[in-house]
Amino acid sequence: MLFQQFDALIMALLIALLLLVLTALLPWLISLTSSKPKAVREELVEVVRCPSCSYESPRKYEKGDYVGKIVGTCPRDSKPLVVKAIYIEKYSQTT
Amino acid sequence: MNGSSDVASYLIVVLFLASLLMNFTDIPQRIQLHRFSSFVRRKLYAIEEMEVDARRKAVAYMSSIGIKEPSKILEGFTDNFFLIRPVDIEPTDIIRRFKHLIRVRENSVREYVRKVLDTTERSIQYSVETVLEVVSVLRLLNKLVRHYLELGLKYNNWILVMQLAIQMPELVEIARAYVNSLNAFTSGIPIGDSVGPLVAKMLVNLQENSREISEGTDLYETEVDGRKIYVIKASGPGSNVGWPGEALEKLVEELGGTIDRIITVDAALKLESEESGEVAYGTGAAIGDIGPEKIAMERVASKYSIPIDAVVVKMSEIEALSPISRNIYEGVVKSYELVQRVIREKVREGGTVVVVGVGNTVGVK
Repeated sequence: MLFQQFDALIMALLIALLLLVLTALLPWLISLTSSKPKAVREELVEVVRCPSCSYESPRKYEKGDYVGKIVGTCPRDSKPLVVKAIYIEKYSQTT
Repeated sequence: MNGSSDVASYLIVVLFLASLLMNFTDIPQRIQLHRFSSFVRRKLYAIEEMEVDARRKAVAYMSSIGIKEPSKILEGFTDNFFLIRPVDIEPTDIIRRFKHLIRVRENSVREYVRKVLDTTERSIQYSVETVLEVVSVLRLLNKLVRHYLELGLKYNNWILVMQLAIQMPELVEIARAYVNSLNAFTSGIPIGDSVGPLVAKMLVNLQENSREISEGTDLYETEVDGRKIYVIKASGPGSNVGWPGEALEKLVEELGGTIDRIITVDAALKLESEESGEVAYGTGAAIGDIGPEKIAMERVASKYSIPIDAVVVKMSEIEALSPISRNIYEGVVKSYELVQRVIREKVREGGTVVVVGVGNTVGVK
């Protein structure tokens, strides 16, 4: 009789404990199933443009550059080459 | 006695007591208050770390441009230079009063920076002002969060602490955007809010010839298929938004109102369902100003019955403060093409158009 009573009590406590553990682990279980954000590499890129012949080319950003800065001469007509835009290009790590 | 019925009766008693505790005492709220306050504290530490990081970056930047005792300059700025909003219960003159207060504050900030950077070029002075403002915002955010947390704990206001906890992830993201914006401001890289000045610069084909029409605001002249185009943007490449409303007002008055169309270009906050870099076209003054500049545009447009258009590039608040991404750059190109199309389709040949590139011109001369 005592064994039966003890057994039932233990069972009830075990079920309660199991539920508690499951509740505590729920956020971790959800994080396991949800998709993780992909790692990305960011790089600053600038577009240079020749205002007279409309030649455009992307290149790596160089410190101190800004939109409107003259950064060289145009390979087509040797007129000043100006920075047209600076932006961040994102590449996924797998590529 | 049956063993299983004993267990059942124990369980019923335990459940009954638990139900009493849960429903008729403050224990669940206390537990929630503790859980939410721990969560807020963790996020608050993150914001504090960001503030420290921002201070470190600001001090390093100011040292690099030759400011002596940058920490002292920073301490003298944060917590000061606040602005008390004008009385709005009596709205007569509110715009004039607001404009006056904004100008007075701006001049005080400018004077404060000029004292330590007298000989440095103006675009760097503008950037220093912005760096100081960013650190100030982070300080204010930190203090506000701490204030509401301590207030909630003081009065056991678990609803206040819960609301704060729910808002914390968004506040942390905003704080992170401000810290990241320091990299752009100190390196001179255009941010999302620079889309207006970028479109303006593209319209004038990257030319440099301009004249200052208002303090820190430039006017360019160009032509698109036989239409005369006036382009207004803040003076760059330092961090500056200029006074686009005042500049537009001056220009329209100078020309006696003989303008066929005004086109404003700015960044706009996107809805969560919208994509960053989407371009939209509408009517009105596209400017995220608190009042005076926007109303100046509306007033001068309505005074001379000039149609006023708005072209906006959609982005999140975080993107508006971060260096421009490819999506947003593509939005800039689309808005430039849209502005040109509007000019060709809605303005007669020989007509005059004013395009206002609204926003921060950091990294755009």
